Amino acid sequence: MTESPPLRRNDYALSADQRALAEAFEEFFRKECPSSRVRDAEATGFDAGLWTDLCRLGAVSMAVGDPAAGGRASLVDLTLVAEPYGRYLAPLPLIESIVAAHMLERLGTAPATEWLHRLAEASCVVAVALSPVQAGRRQLVPAGAIADAVLCHDGAELVLFEPARPLAHVRNQACAPLARLDATGPAGARTVLAHGPAAVALMARARQEWKLLTAAALAGLAAGAVELGIDFAKSRHAFGAPIGTFQAIAHSLVDAAAGAAGSRHLTWKAAWFSEHEPASAEALVPMAYLHSIRSAVRATAVGVHVQGGFGFTRDSDEQLYFRRAKGWPLVYGDPNHELSVIADAIRNGWAPQMTA
Amino acid sequence: MDFGVVELTDEARAFWAELREFLDEQLTDDLRAAVHVAGSDFYEPFQRAMGARGWLMPHWGTDEGGAALDPVRRHILALELSRQAAPINIIDTTAIGAEAVKAWGSDELRAEVLPGVTSGAIRICLGYTEPDAGSDLAAVRTRAVRAGDDWIIKGSKMFTTGAQVSQFSFLLARTNTEVAKHKGLTMFLVPLDDPGVSVGPIETLGGERTNVVYYGDVRITDKYRLGPVDGGWSVLSAPLDEEHGIGTANGQGLGEINGQGAWHNRSLQRIFAAAHRWAVTPDADGDAPIDEQATAARLAQVAMDIEVARSTPGAMGRVVAAELLIQDAADLIDLAAPDSLIARGESGAVEDGTFEWGHRFAPGSAIYGGTVEIQRNIIAQRFLGLPRPLMPSASKQSDPGKG
Repeated sequence: MTESPPLRRNDYALSADQRALAEAFEEFFRKECPSSRVRDAEATGFDAGLWTDLCRLGAVSMAVGDPAAGGRASLVDLTLVAEPYGRYLAPLPLIESIVAAHMLERLGTAPATEWLHRLAEASCVVAVALSPVQAGRRQLVPAGAIADAVLCHDGAELVLFEPARPLAHVRNQACAPLARLDATGPAGARTVLAHGPAAVALMARARQEWKLLTAAALAGLAAGAVELGIDFAKSRHAFGAPIGTFQAIAHSLVDAAAGAAGSRHLTWKAAWFSEHEPASAEALVPMAYLHSIRSAVRATAVGVHVQGGFGFTRDSDEQLYFRRAKGWPLVYGDPNHELSVIADAIRNGWAPQMTA
Repeated sequence: MDFGVVELTDEARAFWAELREFLDEQLTDDLRAAVHVAGSDFYEPFQRAMGARGWLMPHWGTDEGGAALDPVRRHILALELSRQAAPINIIDTTAIGAEAVKAWGSDELRAEVLPGVTSGAIRICLGYTEPDAGSDLAAVRTRAVRAGDDWIIKGSKMFTTGAQVSQFSFLLARTNTEVAKHKGLTMFLVPLDDPGVSVGPIETLGGERTNVVYYGDVRITDKYRLGPVDGGWSVLSAPLDEEHGIGTANGQGLGEINGQGAWHNRSLQRIFAAAHRWAVTPDADGDAPIDEQATAARLAQVAMDIEVARSTPGAMGRVVAAELLIQDAADLIDLAAPDSLIARGESGAVEDGTFEWGHRFAPGSAIYGGTVEIQRNIIAQRFLGLPRPLMPSASKQSDPGKG
């Protein structure tokens, strides 16, 4: 018999501090970001006042932290902030900012640090182009339309690009502030912050973190979407009973809830491994990301369907969720590509654990 | 939150080494062949050898026939037995009955039964499901009729795996037909050596041998009643809730969070491991299936499903794990087709016939221990707060979900 693999814990429990953190941000978003605020911001995809309030709570600065004050938020902590952000569909560049902040902090050079300070105090927005710059291809950049600067991988260089004028907003299904990055396009300042293998590594890590935090946001989104469906199923009556008593409806909501719960936990697990055993994160982050996307898509599809004709109108909040379940992740391309990423991790030696 | 490697004490390490040595001795080719043929995941010499170590009820005190294992060593035991596919099905059913005997039985009954349980000499099978009552378990019709100080058991039970090798059945019977159906049930430990008991074998699609058991006027004393008369639903529900994944979480952070889903996920892990080996094995030209991107993606999907099923909590975890097992077993037999169709033992079988077995075995996971539909009803009502449907029989009896 082959050697036994090591014994591992399988403990998903949050600490008291983590529960407090999650509750604090849940309360913030619940109070400050009702669906009316999401709708009001759809023209631009950005609510500047809400962004100022969130940054004042330390949502971005906690990502880089202050060693004197007791350190930085872990990736698990950051998923606990991203979840309620997703649940309430906040029109804010939270994930982009955390990813950019981490990159700037890792760079550590003078220009990077200066941008980091401004970012952390919400006096600027820095976006990250998720794919390498390619001639003839103007990639869509999340938060690009509200960005003062975009971090991008151009050839062998990691560049901070400051457009002379705001990048043009490209209207999209999620009403997100997307814009195209054109390497040869609008005038602006280019600052090279890194090159060669360092640039490659920084971008790879940034993409990984963006996927992880997006997975967390989508897990929250899925939970919010299911809750709308459940509330409707309890109160809507047909054939003399609440429609939630009909198995087809109840069961579809159960499956949606199972996806939301599983994606929440899998994202935490992926975050933990990203923090403590990054080799395993190569498999777990794309898994969490893909599962969160599929769970969010299913939850919103079920949510619309359960609410019938009403769910299909623009008056329903569910349609806000429906458009973002796809809109938020698809800026990075076809999610099924993640199966290739997972396959690579398997080829590199990752395998699922044999459990008791 | 902690997914890290556990630092083992020297004692735990020594225990693990002792356990591996024990299993190397016990899990011989003869055992494997005998278990495969008999089909009940039971092998008496193994059960007795486990019993001699106190490992059948490992958390019980040594004075009770257990081994007083702490949670880490208990987990190591479970992990290794599962990893090596040791025959533990009847050990598990016996444990369910044994806990009930310990909790509800008289001193006399405990003395009669428990030493044999912990030694491996006594096995207990589960008499729950009937030919006409599976999902609607509270509707069972096997009767236990009072006759002086005794009870007369009459009826039949279905899917009683292990009855042919067990000494007792932990049996759910109707003791009251005047009240709501779940309020008229009582649990009994029924000796199977009574002449009124007859066991008929049933072969399943998955290869397991189970049984139908007829109880023709089986007379037992009141000693064999477990728990209050008409209070059987609560006596049964604790293990059933455990089966449905509605129990307390493992306090040590060692166990799985997906309830019964862990059992199904283990099967999927086993099939995935075989698929992975198959996929990386090069042919005569040096090409391996995993070199093809579509094949690699399908393998990646199964690996992801394992993680998804592990991360989905409680009763939802059971539903997800069962359905992903079914879906992926079907996909993996496709992947390795046509040789995947050849059974273990036949010439040309792929990976010891694992895909062939997995495809036949998988559907049971969404049925056994309560169908996934019943599970979804429970989740909808207890966890999502959705209103209970009005069932046709509801006008006569109250809902089995309550008390």
